Amino acid sequence: MSNESLIADLSSDLAPVQRRSMLREGGLVFALGAVELALFLALGVMRPDMHHMGGSPFLMWRMGSLGLLAIAACALAIKSYSPTAQPRRGVMLAGALAALAIVSGAFVAPEGVADRALLDRIDPASGILCATSIFLLSLPVMALLGALMRRAAPTQPRFSALASGIAAGACGAFVFAFCCPFNDPLYVIVWYSIGCAAVAAAARWRLPRRFRL
Amino acid sequence: MVAAQDGHGGAYRRLLAEMSEWLARYFYRRLPPGEVDDAVQETLLAIHRRRHTYDPQYPLGPWLAAIAKNKWVDQLRSLARRPMDELPDVIAVGDHEAAVISSSVLASLLDELRPAQSQAILLVKVQGYSIEEASARIGLSPSAVKMNIHRGLARLTAIIEKTPDVE
Repeated sequence: MSNESLIADLSSDLAPVQRRSMLREGGLVFALGAVELALFLALGVMRPDMHHMGGSPFLMWRMGSLGLLAIAACALAIKSYSPTAQPRRGVMLAGALAALAIVSGAFVAPEGVADRALLDRIDPASGILCATSIFLLSLPVMALLGALMRRAAPTQPRFSALASGIAAGACGAFVFAFCCPFNDPLYVIVWYSIGCAAVAAAARWRLPRRFRL
Repeated sequence: MVAAQDGHGGAYRRLLAEMSEWLARYFYRRLPPGEVDDAVQETLLAIHRRRHTYDPQYPLGPWLAAIAKNKWVDQLRSLARRPMDELPDVIAVGDHEAAVISSSVLASLLDELRPAQSQAILLVKVQGYSIEEASARIGLSPSAVKMNIHRGLARLTAIIEKTPDVE
């Protein structure tokens, strides 16, 4: 087929298209996250002291850093779906934000927590459950971001997939944080990071396979 | 493009015709002549499928260049996967301009590779020697030559992916 006949085929019966809007896509992700959080809390699993979050620097740190990371990573992921976006720098920025959140966790440990034995602080049995929960809670957002990525035109799909995974992991961790009973920053840093990293790795492995420009 | 997004077929046809000329020039500098038409058509199809992703607030050039570069990388990957054919003894010679530019771009890209990789790619992919002939000339085993070609092309693809979209 010649270029001319291809152009004639493509331009005949041309239907109008709805332009991609990052604001609309961001709204969709936010709405899905809000619905997921509402359904999760409707199960009655929320920590009883969440209403007094203002009085606990640890809870403020956990919810604030996870919320900020989720918002920043979602914005970065959605922006990276544009063909002209350069997501490498954004992924590094999200990594720096996560590192900053981790470092700041050292200053918010409740009294007495730091005196416990390391294994008690990390509590691997609960931690694995926590990381698994984060992974499962991140799946809806990951599915939505994957669908948005397929519909868009990222020219660096591996980085876009990684950004989507970080965003979905941060959203899952944010939702899970409402019920997590542990008050140790070390526990949060270790297991939440493992949960988010697992989601990011799964997205990085799976999403580019389903995408072709 | 905005008119095309709104379903205006005539404007879209004119736009695609202009884009196809630009794409032909773009790919002539970067691909073997036999691959140019395929690359242009693949890119036109991608533009058609993803036309809703163009944001009218931004210029069209970078959007088009980003998609073209992505298709260029795809084409290089498919070239690397394709089995190598022997070149015929007699090859028709046409306009040299595109070949000269390609050669200049290729030479600067090959400079980025290890000498063994660039030599293997130059002999087999550019000058048309068989793997056995190239291995005899370089003094490496045929499997080492194949490995150098494979790794060299992968490295070239990575280098190209990192370069900014500048036409």
